[in-house]
Amino acid sequence: MRFLAEILLSGLAIGAIYGIIAIGFAVIYKTTGLVNFAQGEIAMIVAYIAWTISTTLSGNVFVVTGGALVAAVLLGLVIERVVMRPMLGEPVFSTVMVTIALAVILRSSINFIWDAYPQALNLGVGRDIVRVGAVGMRTGQIAVIVMLLALLAGFWLFFRYSRYGIAMRAVAGDDRTALLMGISTGRVHAVAWAASAAISGIAGIFFAITYDVSPAMYEIGLKSFPATILGGLDAVIGSGFGGLLIGVAENLAGGYLGSGTKEIAGFAMIIVILMVRPFGLFGQRDIERV
Amino acid sequence: MLRTLIAAGLAAAAFAGGPAAAADQGVTDTEILLGSVIPLTGPPALLGVAHTTGVKVAIAEANAAGGVNGRKIRLIMDDDGYIGARTIQATRKLIDVDKVFAIPGQSGSGQVLAAMPVLDKSGIPTIASVGPVKGMYEPPHKNIFAVGSSYEEGIRVLVRFLAEKNPGKTWGLITQDDDYGVAVRDGFDDVVKEKKLNVVYSASYKRGQQDFSSEMARLKDAGVEVFLAGGIISENVAMVKELEKLAIKPVVGIFWPGRVEAVLKLMGPASDGIYAVDYVEPFASPAGQAFLEKAKGLVSEAEFKSINRYTMAGYAGARVLIAAMTRCGRDLTWACTNREIEATKDLETGVMAPMSFGPNVRFTNSKLQVMQADFATLSYKPVK
Amino acid sequence: MRSGTYKETYGELIALTDSRLVWFWGAALMVVLAAAPYLVNAYVLSLMTIMLITVVGALGLNILTGYTGLISLGHVGFLVSGAYGYAVVVSRWGLPPLAGFVAAGVVPAALSLVVGAPSLRLRGLYLAITTLAFAFIIDNLILQAGPLTNGARGITVERPDMLGLSFASDAAFSHLCLAAAILTLFGTLNLRRSRIGRALVAIRDNDIAARAMGINLNAYKLLAFVTSAFVTGIAGALYGINLSYVSVEGFPFLLSIEALAILIVGGLGSPLGAILGTIFIMLLPEVTGSLLRLFGTQAEALFSTGAQELKSTLYGLVIILFLRFEPGGLVRIWHDVRRLWVHWPLRF
Repeated sequence: MRFLAEILLSGLAIGAIYGIIAIGFAVIYKTTGLVNFAQGEIAMIVAYIAWTISTTLSGNVFVVTGGALVAAVLLGLVIERVVMRPMLGEPVFSTVMVTIALAVILRSSINFIWDAYPQALNLGVGRDIVRVGAVGMRTGQIAVIVMLLALLAGFWLFFRYSRYGIAMRAVAGDDRTALLMGISTGRVHAVAWAASAAISGIAGIFFAITYDVSPAMYEIGLKSFPATILGGLDAVIGSGFGGLLIGVAENLAGGYLGSGTKEIAGFAMIIVILMVRPFGLFGQRDIERV
Repeated sequence: MLRTLIAAGLAAAAFAGGPAAAADQGVTDTEILLGSVIPLTGPPALLGVAHTTGVKVAIAEANAAGGVNGRKIRLIMDDDGYIGARTIQATRKLIDVDKVFAIPGQSGSGQVLAAMPVLDKSGIPTIASVGPVKGMYEPPHKNIFAVGSSYEEGIRVLVRFLAEKNPGKTWGLITQDDDYGVAVRDGFDDVVKEKKLNVVYSASYKRGQQDFSSEMARLKDAGVEVFLAGGIISENVAMVKELEKLAIKPVVGIFWPGRVEAVLKLMGPASDGIYAVDYVEPFASPAGQAFLEKAKGLVSEAEFKSINRYTMAGYAGARVLIAAMTRCGRDLTWACTNREIEATKDLETGVMAPMSFGPNVRFTNSKLQVMQADFATLSYKPVK
Repeated sequence: MRSGTYKETYGELIALTDSRLVWFWGAALMVVLAAAPYLVNAYVLSLMTIMLITVVGALGLNILTGYTGLISLGHVGFLVSGAYGYAVVVSRWGLPPLAGFVAAGVVPAALSLVVGAPSLRLRGLYLAITTLAFAFIIDNLILQAGPLTNGARGITVERPDMLGLSFASDAAFSHLCLAAAILTLFGTLNLRRSRIGRALVAIRDNDIAARAMGINLNAYKLLAFVTSAFVTGIAGALYGINLSYVSVEGFPFLLSIEALAILIVGGLGSPLGAILGTIFIMLLPEVTGSLLRLFGTQAEALFSTGAQELKSTLYGLVIILFLRFEPGGLVRIWHDVRRLWVHWPLRF
């Protein structure tokens, strides 16, 4: 019983990180129709920026996260304006390749600017261990689960009630019609990229608090793919829940099926799910005309 | 298409020139050119950059003392990103295009094995000091010299030590799913048979894995009392922090690829008392301090910061090569250098036990020592 | 001199080329490539060999992604299973290399049915990520199937001796790769101009319309998967032989990305593009490396350990610039240059 609880809780904790990154994927997919392969790299860069702030300026948790998130928003805006906007109207395949090339660049910037050593992101919080009965959790892990739930609630309200959220849905539905309705597609894209970068940044910081920053950190992006596929590429909220599901499934596989299965459990799961629902659990089926 | 291809072909042909020249390539009246293929990008740069720094220390030391018989040494590096196919390419390039005289240290274990046919065929003097494994020195190749100790032997020494210290305990092992992990597992299994250890948990993880919560939960469930963490850097950190979270304190042993001081800081207080094994000196020892003192004056600040155990390994390997080249005198040839490396006898470098090679002995099989982490000083101290 | 193209029969439309000159230069190029191993040094030769192997792999991916429009991020999975197919059959079971090459094609082809069948319902990026998942799962299966594949230890492979010839020397092995590349090139060119090729392209352009025209989507998509995997598997076997050591580690996910970059930079859907793209992508690190070296050791010292990272940054940058400014790829540039050459000083 204790074993199961430990497995489930740590599954939720890592799943929440996948979920947050998956939300980042979905926000971009929903508005621009492409998968951003540099999502994990953005998370890594933001975590590194947070680490730099914490070691040079101040270790205060609000200063660090605030500064890092501002940097994340700027990074998102710059990427959108400089790299992605000129690609508007190109086939999805090309734009996706651009994000892959971007990932290569961001990845190599780590060793260029920082170094290959893993570093601890010490904000004075998140590393303490809380024990309920025999089961331990780090406060950072609890916080990330709460964070995911807060993001999910926030996005639900945003898409439902905010003018901007409705505009984003409109652009996602049909960008040409949205344009005719007086919505600036370019601005919506910019907001989507900025938001997505900030969201991945949050995931990156939480990840770094628990697992440290290292140049291999970008792999969380790769590992979050199953989450967003499971939830549906265009389903922001579904992607978040997808993350939790994948995290738990991975840890159950690791805990009961044995080593080796854990790292591929998520991927195996999406293959099965996609056979039944080709658009993810919460994704929308496209209607296509010839 | 054809015109471009032909143009490219002609350009390539022109650029290529003739086949490799005589054995003393890379040597001019004033200079000796050495080259290494080493991972300098991505996470493996951690070992590659540190190793290169060690080679640079040895070279700077030799150059400061007037060079090798009046010739200064220059080093060039190429990155392989730890990918075997690139190691082959880059090694060929070093030999055929850059025309280096010798290779003082070559990329990891699997990578060197991939480049073996190239190295063997060319006959270029090569020191393999990053990750010595059996395939490099058995059967012996006349020009490839492995410096250090084998993974298997290292693990055997560590596990035997831990077994004697903790008799009758239950054991757990986690290894990486590659050739390094296999070597660790082989060494471990040898002692398990020899000492009849009771292994209750054994698993392997995928390279790059970052979350070890389910593995550690199982380890706890199995009641492991002595745990051999076969990760490299961040994996071991993640495992030890997970153990802390699960509130269990098995005896933990780690292996030299992960024996980096920075790891202790990352693991936090939980790292105190972790056992490790290595063939190079810990930095906390007098020999380690002397090495740091020496390196300080010889390399740049950034390079000094990159120093870890691989720096010592790289330094020792380069010293072997430089000493052999020095003994060859002004007539520096591959044949002579290979002969002289083979004749290396009890070479003292200060960073590890004296090194020797011999006829058909292409491996220093250096003496190992077990050490223990001290969190208060963030260092490893030898245990006896 | 030629002045424009006039096609009067269907036969002319689907002919490989309408110009004898192209055949002549093609043959001349083959002679040059066949003679090259004896003229260039070992480094250039190995670069050439790896490029020829990459051409085979890129052409394989081109069938699936270029012709049929199904994006695959998991091609490295076919590559590694091909390499293992060869290594297990030849090195572990001791069968002749020819059987090894058959296995190198058949094993990935069979696996492609397993991944292709569920993928039939998927589109676009969903498919891309499913193939990515497949690549990860294959790696894991290989590691788990220790008795068959030797697990993480990998398998050592020798250069083959077959058809009464020894391919042990570097020159002979490059000839083998050259032969494979030429066969694949003609194979894919001919596939493209057959009924199957036209069906695949119809699926790429609009699969619903293609179905309306009576093309069996499932059958043709699977066919594309199988052919593509077969060819890629052969490339994997050659790649493994070139490495002399087959292990999961030798086939990083990066290879999938590189293959896609080759297709895009070269020009999607065009075999010529796959060749040009291979040359470009494979030479890019070399050229950026020598450019860096051109600035001398000072620049390298200035960047200290960052020089290598600068190289990968440039690599990514070039791909972005290409996609941004010449999405048609190198093959489009080539056509433009040729048109300029033929019609100059007129624009068209």
